[in-house]
Amino acid sequence: MKKLLVILLMISLISLPGCWSGFEIDTLAIIIAMGIDKSEGGYFLTLQILNPSAIAAKEPSTAAPVVLYSEEGKDLKEIMRKIHEKSGRRIYSAHLQLVVFSEEIVEEGINDALDFFARFNEFRTDFYFIVAKGTTARNVLSILTPLHQIPGIKLHESLKNSEQLWAPTKSVRIVELVNAIVAEGKEPVLTGVEVTEEVANVKLPTKSLESLQKSEIENTTKYFGLGVFKEDKLIGWLNEEESKGYNYVIGNVNNTVGYINYGDKVKITGEVTNAKSVMKASLEEGKPAIDVVINMTLNVGAVEGEFDVSKEENIDIFNELAEKKIKLMCEKTVDKAQNEFNADIFGFGEVIRRKYPKLWKEIEDDWDNEFPDLPVNITVKAKTNQLGQITKPFFIKEKE
Amino acid sequence: MLIMKFPKKITKKSNKIDETDYGIYISKDINKNIARLKNDFGCSSDLEVTYFMFDNNKDFICANLYIESLVDRNIINDLSLEMAKLKYEYCNAKPDINSNIVISYFSRIRDSKEGSDYETLYADLLAGDTVFLIDGYNKFYTVDTNADEGRSVEEPTSQTVIRGPKEGFTEKINTNILLIRKRLKSRALRLEKLSIGNITKTTVCLMYIHDIAKDEIVQEMRKRLANIEIDGILEGWYIEELIKDDRHSIFPVFVSSEKPDSVVAALLEGKLAILIDGTPYVLTAPALMVEFLQASEDYYHHYIVASMMRVLRFITFFLTLLVPAIYIALTTFHQEIIPTPLLVSIAAQREGVPFPAIVEALIMEVAFEILREAGVRMPRAIGPAISIVGALVLGQAAVEAGIISAIMVIVVAITAISSFAIPYYEMSNAIRTMRFILMSLAAFLGLYGVFMGLIVMTLHLCKIKSMTVPYLTPIAPKIKGGNKDTIFRFPLWKMKYRPIGISGTDTARTHGHNPVSSDQKEKPELR
Repeated sequence: MKKLLVILLMISLISLPGCWSGFEIDTLAIIIAMGIDKSEGGYFLTLQILNPSAIAAKEPSTAAPVVLYSEEGKDLKEIMRKIHEKSGRRIYSAHLQLVVFSEEIVEEGINDALDFFARFNEFRTDFYFIVAKGTTARNVLSILTPLHQIPGIKLHESLKNSEQLWAPTKSVRIVELVNAIVAEGKEPVLTGVEVTEEVANVKLPTKSLESLQKSEIENTTKYFGLGVFKEDKLIGWLNEEESKGYNYVIGNVNNTVGYINYGDKVKITGEVTNAKSVMKASLEEGKPAIDVVINMTLNVGAVEGEFDVSKEENIDIFNELAEKKIKLMCEKTVDKAQNEFNADIFGFGEVIRRKYPKLWKEIEDDWDNEFPDLPVNITVKAKTNQLGQITKPFFIKEKE
Repeated sequence: MLIMKFPKKITKKSNKIDETDYGIYISKDINKNIARLKNDFGCSSDLEVTYFMFDNNKDFICANLYIESLVDRNIINDLSLEMAKLKYEYCNAKPDINSNIVISYFSRIRDSKEGSDYETLYADLLAGDTVFLIDGYNKFYTVDTNADEGRSVEEPTSQTVIRGPKEGFTEKINTNILLIRKRLKSRALRLEKLSIGNITKTTVCLMYIHDIAKDEIVQEMRKRLANIEIDGILEGWYIEELIKDDRHSIFPVFVSSEKPDSVVAALLEGKLAILIDGTPYVLTAPALMVEFLQASEDYYHHYIVASMMRVLRFITFFLTLLVPAIYIALTTFHQEIIPTPLLVSIAAQREGVPFPAIVEALIMEVAFEILREAGVRMPRAIGPAISIVGALVLGQAAVEAGIISAIMVIVVAITAISSFAIPYYEMSNAIRTMRFILMSLAAFLGLYGVFMGLIVMTLHLCKIKSMTVPYLTPIAPKIKGGNKDTIFRFPLWKMKYRPIGISGTDTARTHGHNPVSSDQKEKPELR
């Protein structure tokens, strides 16, 4: 009898407190992306929610793979709950891929909004932040994409791929963003996204499914470059070239492609396969200075014109030209950051603080004035590894 | 007619016997003995009693008794012939025939035994022997006339192999002993016959190799077998259930094998074998947890291949135990740890499924169990019908009707296939039970519950023993150098010792010499 009682108690111990946090997948509204616009009262939040039944259908479905719900309110968490009035399913945000801020929001500052993203335990920390440039966040989320059924995942993937293979973007997650805002001597950047018009005469915007049935796309989302922040406020944009330069300086280039001209007729494309940068602080007459050394390895991607890359002296020329080009690119970016924005997006201040903590204490408060005059020496070292599947171009005749 | 049935009146007259005549030993009066026997067997109709008399001494009666259904007719005929010869030889002999002559004659007949008490007489009679009673002599002779009916040696049905011996045990204990002896020609092989079961008197045979088996374990086993007290033993499980260390534990602690080669391998590791008359399954003990994931074929293939197969079996062990539970836990509690594309796909499939994941899983698992059970029990002829119904109804129709999600079918299928990859049916039964427990824990508490269940299960496995040997032996307690045959099967020349903790004093399995190399240096590094 006593044994039976113990077993009964154990079963109820397991079963009574159980289940409380369990929700079946088909009762969840899975948020893929979140857009935050400004409204008069505060925020205008848009949720891109997965529509499983549209994906489940074996035949091409007439329903869109995602549904947008928007709501206005003063507080993000409050709006999220309020959306339940519309959604019919429990809002589930662990699979959030992406948060899009509108320009208006980031120009005013995102500190308050970020607290919610850092605090709420349902979020994972692997979603990216981006800024909608020249459009609203809702508009960005409303564009359907052909290759990826789910636009939020498409934006997530293409940010990752463009960062890895093309370099002018940067995927920024919550931890990195908050750290950059909080850190002294470092300012954050966020990638911008625009809605482009691919074909001039737009008849069907890619907001309807019929438009997806064609291979031509009328408009789509596209990353633009990096938005420069000062503290938590957006102050300007770097274009594609400058964004690449930024990534070279901070050593965030994995793989990219660029070309150089040699003389008038020769154009050589180089594929950067690896670019590492080392930032070092030094003292010049009691004043801090920064040395950036960029080591990169190249492959020859294409050669136009008569230029025999299989010759060693020609490879040296190629390396030299590449070094010059990258150096110029980086210097332009640094110059823009120093003189136009006065925002230390590279984290030079952080480098100085690590090496000369005492000196940093002195200049810390005056960093905004010191930064534009900070001497930055950029050295680029290029090395060519591979010429590709062929050595010299087809059209060069053998000189006997 | 020299041999004839004794007149009925004599038996009838002596049917009434006094209670006082009930002694342990047979008496000199043959009529009394026969009357008593008939009475004890309740005049069972297959108890055959034949009398024969001699011409030169009409008062001297002999009788033979046997149970008709147990004896071989041919041997009985041979025996009758012998008796006729005896009669002919002595029909005119002087002095008259008497008990001494007959006794001296019987002692020459092939494998005849002498006995004097009723219990032995009954046992012999019931074993199919023919009993000879001689007037005026208080002993009896038995001649083995046992009919050797039974299945011949066939391929095992429950443990099949691709490579390796294909002989399987039969229901006859003597054949089984022969199958083992044939493979193990050693005088150190010990055999101890017992008869267990108050009524069935089943012959049970304990087998081990002297010195290789650990003495304490042999003694413990002897003690436990001797202490069994039950009316009958019909299968090895009776013995296992009665003498296992932890009676309520669901995990098998005796390996039951249908294959003589695996039994011999177990004997060589110092384990004991228990052969039970009437079943083709031979028990070996002590059995370790890992043994149930090892197949005899592991030793008949290259060690890398065998290790791969064994690792696969360990994986299937965890798959069949955990897949449904983890699926339930993830889809109802921890959607955040499913990769997003997979979640999208699961969400798409679960769309429109009317049941929560646990109900869905239970429906499918129970349906599968029903299919399996039906497949085992029903007549062979209608076997294909079940698989068609199973595949169509469970696999396709349920998904198309939207009652079950396709991924659930995959989960159940992988669980089922994995459970069949475990070589011993007893172990997959145990895991099946654990699977249902873990599934319900997952439904209530998610991964937290699953791991709580796993911890409790591991504690239990650490606690139970098989014939005083801890169940998880080379892993917990960890035996240094004892893990050469656990997850990976090391090459034979590397497994130099028999399992420590199981085997007795003779521990060396091989010295590790390479027969190929010319270097014949002795390396006496064995302990």
